[in-house]
Amino acid sequence: MIRLTVNGVEHTLDIEGDTPLLWVVRDVLGLKGSKFGCGAGLCGACTMHLNGQPFRTCITPVAAVAGQAITTIEGIAPANNLSAVQKAWLDLNVPQCGYCQSGQIMSATALLATNPSPSNQDIDNAMSGNLCRCGTYPRIRSAIHRAAELRRTAEFYELTEVRHD
Amino acid sequence: MTDLTALNRRGFLKSSALASGGLLLTIALPACSSMTHKGPVMDEQWQASAWLRIDTDNRVTFVLDRVEMGQGTYTGLVTLLCEELETDPANVQVEFAGVDSFYNNPLYKLQVTGGSTSVSTSFERIRLAGASAREMLKAAASQGLGVPVGQLRCDNGFVIPPSGQPIAYGQLVRVAATHKIPSDIVLKKPEQFRYIGKFDRRLDAHVKVTGQAQYGIDVELPGMLYAVISRAPAYGGTIKSVNSAAAQQAPGVVDVFPMEAAGRHGVAVVARSYWQARKAQQLLVIEWALPKSAPSDADVMAAYAQDLASKSGSRLRNDGHFSRARRQSSTVLEAEYRLPYLAHATLEPQVCVVNANQHGMEVWAPTQAPSLARIAAAKHSGYRVDDIIVHTTWIGGGFGRRLMQDFVAECAFIADRLQQPIKLIYSREEDTRHDFYRPASLHQLTATVHDDGHIHGWQHRLAHPKVMHWFVPDAAAAQFSFMPKFLFPALTAAGKLGEGILAPNDSSGYEGADDLPYAFEHIQVDFVHSEPGVPVGYWRAVGHSHNGFVTESFMDELAYQQQQDPLQFRRQLLQQHPRALAVLNKAAEMAHWGTPLAGCAQGVAVHKSFGTWVAQIADVSVDGGRIQVKRIVCAVDCGLVVNPDTVKAQMEGGMIFGLTAALFGKITLKNGAVEQSNFHDYPLLRLPETPELSVAIIASAEASSGVGEPGVPPVAAAVANAVFAASGQRLRELPLQLV
Ligand code: FES
Ligand code: FES
Repeated sequence: MIRLTVNGVEHTLDIEGDTPLLWVVRDVLGLKGSKFGCGAGLCGACTMHLNGQPFRTCITPVAAVAGQAITTIEGIAPANNLSAVQKAWLDLNVPQCGYCQSGQIMSATALLATNPSPSNQDIDNAMSGNLCRCGTYPRIRSAIHRAAELRRTAEFYELTEVRHD
Repeated sequence: MTDLTALNRRGFLKSSALASGGLLLTIALPACSSMTHKGPVMDEQWQASAWLRIDTDNRVTFVLDRVEMGQGTYTGLVTLLCEELETDPANVQVEFAGVDSFYNNPLYKLQVTGGSTSVSTSFERIRLAGASAREMLKAAASQGLGVPVGQLRCDNGFVIPPSGQPIAYGQLVRVAATHKIPSDIVLKKPEQFRYIGKFDRRLDAHVKVTGQAQYGIDVELPGMLYAVISRAPAYGGTIKSVNSAAAQQAPGVVDVFPMEAAGRHGVAVVARSYWQARKAQQLLVIEWALPKSAPSDADVMAAYAQDLASKSGSRLRNDGHFSRARRQSSTVLEAEYRLPYLAHATLEPQVCVVNANQHGMEVWAPTQAPSLARIAAAKHSGYRVDDIIVHTTWIGGGFGRRLMQDFVAECAFIADRLQQPIKLIYSREEDTRHDFYRPASLHQLTATVHDDGHIHGWQHRLAHPKVMHWFVPDAAAAQFSFMPKFLFPALTAAGKLGEGILAPNDSSGYEGADDLPYAFEHIQVDFVHSEPGVPVGYWRAVGHSHNGFVTESFMDELAYQQQQDPLQFRRQLLQQHPRALAVLNKAAEMAHWGTPLAGCAQGVAVHKSFGTWVAQIADVSVDGGRIQVKRIVCAVDCGLVVNPDTVKAQMEGGMIFGLTAALFGKITLKNGAVEQSNFHDYPLLRLPETPELSVAIIASAEASSGVGEPGVPPVAAAVANAVFAASGQRLRELPLQLV
């Protein structure tokens, strides 16, 4: 039995411990917002947060994160609400096919949580592991700046995560 | 411009009342395809592919048999509808239509989304549908109020009488449904547009930033099992022996069996979870038999060279007398260009869900061609075409990959065998190795110089396979889906033989070469069909993806030979093409042509594809042997624009797609097997490597043309030309590599 806390909800699962977290969250818990792109930590489509840090769930065995706090795209804003990052993404019409965007948003959210006014260089560093085949990168860059501004000037739901450090 | 009255008389619109009291308009949209139909016209059979439904509670629903894979069609078509219907695009609900026997009328065309044609082919029809509904609603209001129609107008979901309360559409639909579709609709004039050219909110963004959009990989059915397939490494390879004993015993495994679908042999593993299927797959021990033709890259290029040397090919363009010009020229320039195979690398790998039981078969697929998906499923199962329903989903990138239906064929085969819901997922490695690739090609360019020094002759000979040969097995049958299944192979053969008569011409190799816009006196373009046996398919911008690079690079060589400014050289030869001149001039202005960014040199390219002119100028540095693209500016003329921001987004995306190909893209083969596997050896451009991009749209009242693909073709040439300006190295092969 493996215990998992996902978006604040605790689950106890009877599952093989080497199953990558991505498939557990998608197929057992039914949260399909996180995507499969490469299965090798190379594209970022599967990005979730572990104690506030972005990580690649396609290569993380579920047993390795047992008992820890995990956040997915479904958990970054309450229902019918958008986070500053999501709002900025809408303002700039970022998504094309949209498949990479959950992962992009999870990486951007983690960046802004620790660095409220990132420079272009900071954005490069934080986002280089998230691929987008449709080529939405210029808009992602602008949208992160915009989200930083929104967080300063407007009231937005902010993700607070349990930290065990 | 289409004659609207004639269109209407041919009955592309049908109206009916719904049991709920709502109004339903069914709309026949023309098929979307990058292929031009040059054979006898077999048109005008009723084929509904969209519905407009207005319910008594004011709900407007648009059901669309066109897929959204990122290109913005969803927003574009709703914008067109709302312009005439006079309602806010943000309030329209869009549903994806499937393909089922409801559509089962004789179809001679295909329901395909591709070729950058969704907006251009639907422009008037969708507007006419919106306008017809608007007029029927006005007629209903006129009847109820006793006010002449001429005194009524519509605004934001209401009919507005000259005095008194506005009436919501929902209150009028019951009566409107009893009215005939008017035959004398007048569409709005461009100066009256409220949404077209202005509406810039991407309607599908919300579901995509919240993780709610359901892609093919997200479809979930009760009791669903997961399938993976180990396929022969080379196309056409077969199984010599397989030991599946260990896999059969692995936890969660339900079935392991050899199979063949869509020309690919493999061993399928079906298990209760995806991970169980993957782990069991590792335990398979398979020995493959190589196909007779299992080429490596060097063989492909050698075969191309051999064919170019020994075959004259088809002459697609013959202006003036090139051979004579060549004989008489004392100066001749020659160059050879090579392009590699490329994978599509959609971020959502190929995936399909199929349920099969005694009632029939249902398919959920992120496919660009639902009608072909249905044929593929029928051919690989015991079900008749009529017993198969295809649902489309949000699509995680298409770029032409999902015009092929191999993933549907495979999943249908497995679900038919197990009679249970099955989800088939390709790993990234499988997706990279079992694609239908952008063909490799070899190009020989020759230019002749007149005695007075000016260039007067251009010859372009290219070797390339026919993409349609790989596409036609499903496509030919889909055109005749009412025929019994046993005739499908015959139809496939007819599709090949009848190219240009029964089937469209296959321009996939030479488009963008035969329509060279430059005013040389003697132009000759030859296409030499060469078939190495490597599976190939349509890839974003298709033939333009290689011909844009080749023609615009060679033009640059000629400019330098003439000691002319590359921009000026092009301008002189484009005097007959004002739209080309306009995009060139705009790009030059945006890039400050002649004044590159610090440490950079500039390169220019201009190319027309899918009716759209695009000019790009790249600023590139080559410090320390590394090509670094710092900025690309892009000017585009795609006729009348529906959603300006969609055009910009597609240009940005097209440039990045083109840059990936220019800088990294290369699929190589060893004995028929693809050597690359995942993003470490088939890299995509990343955010830090993305240059500054800017896009300008030329205002135009010409008919709307494509935007999904035309941003791609000029990029590699603009960058290669800048590399030459910076380093003196003329790179004639992609991906670009400094020596
Ligand atoms: S799917 Fe996890 S990094 Fe690509
Ligand atoms: S939006 Fe399509 S992969 Fe990023």
